[in-house]
Amino acid sequence: MTEASLIGLLFATVSFGALLYLAALGELLAEKAGVLNLGVEGMMAVGAVTAFIAGVELQNPWAALLVAMLSGALLASVHGFFTVGLGAEQVVSGLSLTILGLGLAAYLGKDYVGLPPGAELVPVEWGGLSDLPWVGPILFNQAPMVYLALLMGLTVSFVLSSTRLGLALRAAGESASSTDSAGHSVLGLRLSAVAAGGALAGASGAYLTLSITPQWAEGITAGRGWIAVALVIFGAWRPGRVGIGALIFGGTLALKTRLQTFGVDFSPIILSMLPYVLTLTILLIISVQARKRPSPAPFGLGLAYRREER
Amino acid sequence: MRQPRLSLREQPLPGGQPLAFGIGLLIALIVGTLLLFAAGHEPLKIYSRMFEASLGDPDAWAKTVNRAVPLGLAGLAVAVAGSMGLWNIGAEGQIMAGAIAAAWVARIGGDWPGIILISMMLIAAIGGGGVLAIGPALARAKLGVNEIITTLMLNEVAIRLVQWLIHGPWKDPDSYNFPLAPMIPDQARLPTLFSRAHFGLLIAAAVIVIASVAVRHTAWGYELRIAGSSEATARYSGISLSKKILTVLVLSGAIAGLAGGVELTGTADRLTETISNGFGFAGIIVAALALMRPSGVAVVALLFGAVQIGGQSIQTLGVSSSVSTILQAFVLFGAIGAGVLSRYRVVLDTDARSSNKELSDD
Repeated sequence: MTEASLIGLLFATVSFGALLYLAALGELLAEKAGVLNLGVEGMMAVGAVTAFIAGVELQNPWAALLVAMLSGALLASVHGFFTVGLGAEQVVSGLSLTILGLGLAAYLGKDYVGLPPGAELVPVEWGGLSDLPWVGPILFNQAPMVYLALLMGLTVSFVLSSTRLGLALRAAGESASSTDSAGHSVLGLRLSAVAAGGALAGASGAYLTLSITPQWAEGITAGRGWIAVALVIFGAWRPGRVGIGALIFGGTLALKTRLQTFGVDFSPIILSMLPYVLTLTILLIISVQARKRPSPAPFGLGLAYRREER
Repeated sequence: MRQPRLSLREQPLPGGQPLAFGIGLLIALIVGTLLLFAAGHEPLKIYSRMFEASLGDPDAWAKTVNRAVPLGLAGLAVAVAGSMGLWNIGAEGQIMAGAIAAAWVARIGGDWPGIILISMMLIAAIGGGGVLAIGPALARAKLGVNEIITTLMLNEVAIRLVQWLIHGPWKDPDSYNFPLAPMIPDQARLPTLFSRAHFGLLIAAAVIVIASVAVRHTAWGYELRIAGSSEATARYSGISLSKKILTVLVLSGAIAGLAGGVELTGTADRLTETISNGFGFAGIIVAALALMRPSGVAVVALLFGAVQIGGQSIQTLGVSSSVSTILQAFVLFGAIGAGVLSRYRVVLDTDARSSNKELSDD
């Protein structure tokens, strides 16, 4: 293994990690507020395609990112309307959202398949930092989305742990009826969390088509939305741990395409099972521990709230 | 401020779920018309083509029925778990596990007589699906681990297992280096009933009838439904919850596995990574639309099969397959919404606070 290929691997680990982190943070927000959204894969696909289209039409990567985030939030709001507004089953609505998102993405993008990108988010130059050995090319030569993901992680962590809004949000996910009694709108909190989650999934999709593989093709999200769902559990619903998990899972994605160049005789397909197997393992560990201390999952996760039924 | 809120109806609207499904179809039809217009097609022409291709003649019916078989079995798998309030999101993976097990039998039993080979393949498929469900079942029954996530994760593992097999150990040496598994032997094909509709229809129908009777009309099924509606009641009446969870989830996986076996012997020539083609996820939707009632699954699967086959047929008219995917999603959301509104009515509160106060005064 040469130095250059190792640097390439670590660079890709960080960028895939950021991609997963953005989507997982979105899912974490929704789940913290009590809403399981299994539509991440669909929201990512819509974010990816709308970012690409907006890039081609507007020629501005930041406008494209904004369009993708708004589209993600809009799509997530469909889930919000059905599960929070009507109290429909979250699992069914979320899976339907994935179907809707994948269908919409294919429909919207059919005239853009194979086109050159109109806008790209190019790596940020950090002056002297970018020239440092090892650290420079791995950490200080990344697309802006990587730093945005880090910033979002810190923001989500701060908002959830140290602000009144975050407290209310977590309360809505733990016990909706007492949140309601305390005068907060469970409806408003949950809807906003779901929409914000969709915006982050959209941003994650945009990162794909504006930077990682700047083109549109159907199926470009390749199941990464499901990894994001897994990450939230892997990270025990804590933004920091989810970030560490994102790097580990990002590493498996980065390694998958490089095994052969490293001369490792191991099936990349088997390697790609790793995130799911790791998540299952962590889930078992959490539940064995849960006999001694409470489970980290929000208590009201998956439960609809209708005031008259409390 | 007048604020809308949902209030439980004393009785659900008559027609309930079929009505909800109908409304879902209607909404999809309206949205579809708009989408088709926007893309420059003639909606009426497209719809009549969809109808002809899915229900127009015996050949069309055969395609629809062949699609309804895996949808119905997957839907049944989800509905059996759902009768007890459990979510099996892993039907997709269990279908693949079933297909892997059946393909393995086809590999070792290449010279067995047809009826024995097919029977063994289907039994293996049942076992394969059941085995993949054992982990989530044990984890839920013994440790209380949420089965939604464990079954969901195993889907991703199962599809990669299929990919690995057909890229590696099971790659056909005669496939010119394409990642293809070898064809199953000729005698391993299910016989056809009419046109190209295969014997799987009878298998699926039989399994659905047996499961419906078991859930609706036996003591076992009664306990299951009690456990599904209230854990506490179940405990008081001495029902062993963990044993029930274990059997129901494994049974659910086994039924999904059978779907994979039937798909391999009925419609596919060989094990492929698209052998499940989303049937497991569609099965969740079929089961939800059938309100988790095994008996309702057959009807919904047939309708859903027709929508899917019709949707595929219009690709020859230049309509992208994504339109049919979007239409499916709209059927779903329409039905979800209508399902809720058949049980709840929308009331306008003059002031949200005042109703809150009323409740707290109770």
